[in-house]
Amino acid sequence: MAEVILEVRSATKNFGGLKAVNNLSFDLHKGEIVSLIGPNGSGKTTTFNLITGLYEPDSGDILMQGESIAGLKPGQIYARGISRTFQMLRLFSNMSVLENVLVGMHGRTKANVIDCMFRTPRMRREEEASIVRAREILAMFPGRFPLARHTQPAASLSYANRRRLEIARALAGEPRLLLLDEPVAGMNPAESMEVMRQIRDLRDAGYTILMIEHDMNVIMGASDRVIAMDHGIKIAEGAPVDVANDPAVVEAYLGRRGADTAS
Amino acid sequence: MAAITARISSFFGRVPRWVYIVAVLAFAIAFPMLEYFGLMQTLWLRVGTRALVYVLLAVGLNLVLGETGLLHLGYVAFFAVGAYTTAILSSPRFDIQWNFWVIIAIAMGLAMLFGFLIGVPTLRLRGDYLAIVTLAFGEITRMTLNNWEGLTNGPGGIPGIYPPQIFGWTVDSPAEFFYLLLVTVVIVVWLLNNLKNSRIGRAWNALREDEIAAHHAGVGPTRAKMLAVVMSSGIAGLAGAIFAYYQQFINPTYFLFMQSVIVVSMVVIGGMGSIPGAILGAVVLDTTPEIIRQTFTSWLPAAIGPDFLPGVQAAMQTEFDRYRMAIFGLVIVLMVVFRPEGLLPNKLWRREMHEEDPRELEKTGQHLFDFEEGTQDLEV
Ligand SMILES: Nc1ncnc2c1ncn2[C@@H]1O[C@H](COP(=O)(O)OP(=O)(O)O)[C@@H](O)[C@H]1O
Ligand SMILES: [Mg+2]
Repeated sequence: MAEVILEVRSATKNFGGLKAVNNLSFDLHKGEIVSLIGPNGSGKTTTFNLITGLYEPDSGDILMQGESIAGLKPGQIYARGISRTFQMLRLFSNMSVLENVLVGMHGRTKANVIDCMFRTPRMRREEEASIVRAREILAMFPGRFPLARHTQPAASLSYANRRRLEIARALAGEPRLLLLDEPVAGMNPAESMEVMRQIRDLRDAGYTILMIEHDMNVIMGASDRVIAMDHGIKIAEGAPVDVANDPAVVEAYLGRRGADTAS
Repeated sequence: MAAITARISSFFGRVPRWVYIVAVLAFAIAFPMLEYFGLMQTLWLRVGTRALVYVLLAVGLNLVLGETGLLHLGYVAFFAVGAYTTAILSSPRFDIQWNFWVIIAIAMGLAMLFGFLIGVPTLRLRGDYLAIVTLAFGEITRMTLNNWEGLTNGPGGIPGIYPPQIFGWTVDSPAEFFYLLLVTVVIVVWLLNNLKNSRIGRAWNALREDEIAAHHAGVGPTRAKMLAVVMSSGIAGLAGAIFAYYQQFINPTYFLFMQSVIVVSMVVIGGMGSIPGAILGAVVLDTTPEIIRQTFTSWLPAAIGPDFLPGVQAAMQTEFDRYRMAIFGLVIVLMVVFRPEGLLPNKLWRREMHEEDPRELEKTGQHLFDFEEGTQDLEV
């Protein structure tokens, strides 16, 4: 097995009396795609928030490449090579498509205030390189971000393209680990398949990916491994087919669906 | 109506940006000459000079309010810090006349220090704390100026401020102050525009748009906000220092809360996060009341006859300050109703030039707006 890149060790997060994430442990290995599944409210997004520093675990630890990142701020965790997208899109709506990607490079660029105020050669070189790289990243979504679209506000994009732009912005941080929160939510099947292929391409390019997903086709088609959660607890982990057929997982989904209908 | 507006703005949008810059600069450079050659009353030169002070304040506040999205309600306090630095260090009050550059450096440095001290406790917290603390700081500053008589001479103010000497040039006429301020504005705007189009400016905008997403993209919110607050404080200090030289006399009534509100209005009316907008907002809001006053007290009477609405004329002459605020209020209400995005909204020029140009769209085969699912994207 490839080296471990991320270790979540007995992470717990409470909201009042609710254990949103309860004693959760798992490892991610370099270059794999792992899907995090579970009914709504099972703690998947909260797990992402713990890994990316939006919340600090109440107990337990999270290690990125062997070093603890629990309690670090999102910006510091980004600097360790973890980027993410959001379940509810969080783009910079009034900034252009290109600028959205450029912001993703903020922590990877160095020009200081003086450089920026006077546009020193050093700053201009860096800026040009950033723009070239940002356009490269946008070009990873063939046909979706033609040049004319780069200067449009992010708010003018279609829903699917906004999701793609979030992935592009996350990639701009040159992460080693990419966390995607429901990357195909709201997409039609053809678009879902396209994103799925792209996610596999990213893995083949060396990224490690942890994604939250509901779409069974995407989960089965893209993941190397699946972790299932319910009520904040890990209830199953393993190959996609095994987890999908795991009685506890079936139970969690069916049980929750029953409860949803009742309410 | 909308179509006409769109065509007009599309026409103006296609004029390259440098044409506007050259035109505005040419007008500004020629402006004092109108007075020199007797084509314009000195009054207008004074209005123009004061407008430039407001332009400095508006572009400075825009950094915090427009670019970074933080509400700041005590901006005039930093202006006061700069003004009193000049007044104390270059007047008969303590019988000293320090070097212009030293005073500018102290004025900016002090204002930035105060900005930093206010930022430390507030910027870590959510948005509204900065508004409350800056509001309080504005009032504390004014009260300090009123009561610390040993230093500021209290409500009596500091008269007789000596004119600045800049490389042997004594700046002591409205026209000279106009040019001094114009050069200052050009330099400040150039630097701010560079910042805006850099990773730092983008970080500010990202914080304004979505702080959590910005933080996850590696922007340190507290540091970036602090930089915006400190820099905008420095610009207010600079504006204050020059203002005191120009005014030759200052007292605490120049630095009322209302002044902070006026500068906020200028930024909002111009278009938040737009440097040309802040400039235009400052010029429009500063000159409109004066234009209205002149209309009623001199232009209309001259055209129609001296007995034109004598009551209005008298009121405009004696109680104008009250009307001034009413006019401000009216302009703001009209703006909010008819053009909430501001006069020159953020990026208007750029978008107009790149996206709405039909030739550009033909070339690339792209449409202005990306279509929703099920229409355009499916076919691709
Ligand atoms: N900031 C918060 N404050 C209080 N409760 C929260 C918060 N975030 C999530 N929760 C709760 O924690 C549980 C897990 O939520 P979440 O991680 O978003 O679930 P999932 O992403 O699996 O649908 C839910 O019951 C949710 O209501
Ligand atoms: Mg979720």
